[in-house]
Amino acid sequence: MNPELSQDLSLLHLILNASVPVQIVMALLVGASLLSWWFIFIKMFALKRAQRATDAFEHEFWGGADLNLMFKRVSAERDEAGEMERIFEAGFREFMKLKQQAGMSASFIMDGTRRAMRATYQRELDGLESHLSFLATVGSVSPYVGLFGTVWGIMIAFLGLSSVAQATLAQVAPGIAEALIATAMGLFAAIPAVISYNRYTHDIDRLANRMESFMEEFSNILQRQTKAA
Amino acid sequence: MNPRRDARFLTRSVPRFRAGVLALGVHAAFALLLVFGVSWQVQQPAPVMVDVWDALPSIPPPRAAPPQPAPEPEPDVAPPEPPAPPPKPAAEAPAPPKAPDLALEKRKAEEEKKRAEAERQEALKARQAAEEKARADAARAEEARKAREKQAAEQQKRDLLRQFEEEGLQRAEQEAGLAAQAAAASRRQAAVAGVVAQHIAMISAKVRGNTRLPPDLTGNPEVRCLVKLLPTGEVRSVQVTKSSGNPAYDDAVVRAIEKSSPLPLPDDRDARASFVPELSFVHRPK
Repeated sequence: MNPELSQDLSLLHLILNASVPVQIVMALLVGASLLSWWFIFIKMFALKRAQRATDAFEHEFWGGADLNLMFKRVSAERDEAGEMERIFEAGFREFMKLKQQAGMSASFIMDGTRRAMRATYQRELDGLESHLSFLATVGSVSPYVGLFGTVWGIMIAFLGLSSVAQATLAQVAPGIAEALIATAMGLFAAIPAVISYNRYTHDIDRLANRMESFMEEFSNILQRQTKAA
Repeated sequence: MNPRRDARFLTRSVPRFRAGVLALGVHAAFALLLVFGVSWQVQQPAPVMVDVWDALPSIPPPRAAPPQPAPEPEPDVAPPEPPAPPPKPAAEAPAPPKAPDLALEKRKAEEEKKRAEAERQEALKARQAAEEKARADAARAEEARKAREKQAAEQQKRDLLRQFEEEGLQRAEQEAGLAAQAAAASRRQAAVAGVVAQHIAMISAKVRGNTRLPPDLTGNPEVRCLVKLLPTGEVRSVQVTKSSGNPAYDDAVVRAIEKSSPLPLPDDRDARASFVPELSFVHRPK
């Protein structure tokens, strides 16, 4: 049976009959899609956890808990502590260290504390933002990759048509259908990636704002303590 | 716990496995949606063939013949009846010749005449009586004869009927024996021919349905192709044996035949023999 004439347009059949470049493109896109969805879910869980932890910490902190007790608890479980807890821990640790050393001016202590908090803040933010660039790349590039596969597939289909005396739609239709699958895959990978990228950057921005506000407020509290001391 | 341990070495457990399973789930769901949600199969509705049969190509039943000869004996039996009237004129005929002899002598003649008259009257009476008797006898005889004849005729008729019936039966039996074979053969032939014709029509319809006629086609040109088939009906090769003169149309027909693979073949082996391994195919656009 002449495969060009077969009307069997099952998805698997189309994919298996595609030309090698188109198949490579499809494999690439499936991989990108799988990876981007994996990151989407990882980020989703991580951001949910970060928001919950931040809510809980702010509630505890502004609820008037003892700072020393909080510091002890947080440093005992640093690995599982939330972002804001780590900032608090780093700042408080630095503050205590500097305060114990003699001859330290208040502004010097505060500068050191701020630097320690800022460093932790940057590191935590970096952790939150990890893999987001991958989502952005998949979202912006995979449609083009899919389009490349489609263009290639259509090219092959039309090349095959040139050797036939009489051109009919039935001769190019399977080739175009298989080529268009590449575009569909590109879009399938890109759309969720773009949506989740936008959403996650927004969520991370809000978290970053909260952490920066906390850093300022905590600095004020520590500064009052240096005065008091 | 080392208080100097830098925050950069801190880890945080990430649900990687859960995320991976979810990602795979999303793709599986999407694949299922594609496979079952979208009808990727281009299913052309199979042409529905309807054969209108008045009746089966019937062979005249051998039993029907014998009863027909039966009515024939009746005309044969009827003719014996007409001969019955002739005996009447024969009985009256001897009377007239007597009269001329009595007129020669006067006296004698008168007496004789009287006597003769009386005689004659007597004779007449006697004769009448005799005649009457004879007639009655004749009538009786006639009746008896008629009855006999009738009986004979009926007997004959019955015999004839029986004979015919026997002959018919014998013939029927013989015929039945021969005819059974012949009939079976011819019926089978007819059936095979019917099946073949039916499948030729089906194949033509299928090919015609798949033919994309070139737009510049005029008239109703004929293309002859030699189609080589596998026993399953799949088309192995198509070869144009007689071109229509329009290569585009030839091409279209060849493609249509290839596209119609597998061709609908009869299940019957004898009928199939007309199609496999080679089928000479004649195609007309209309």
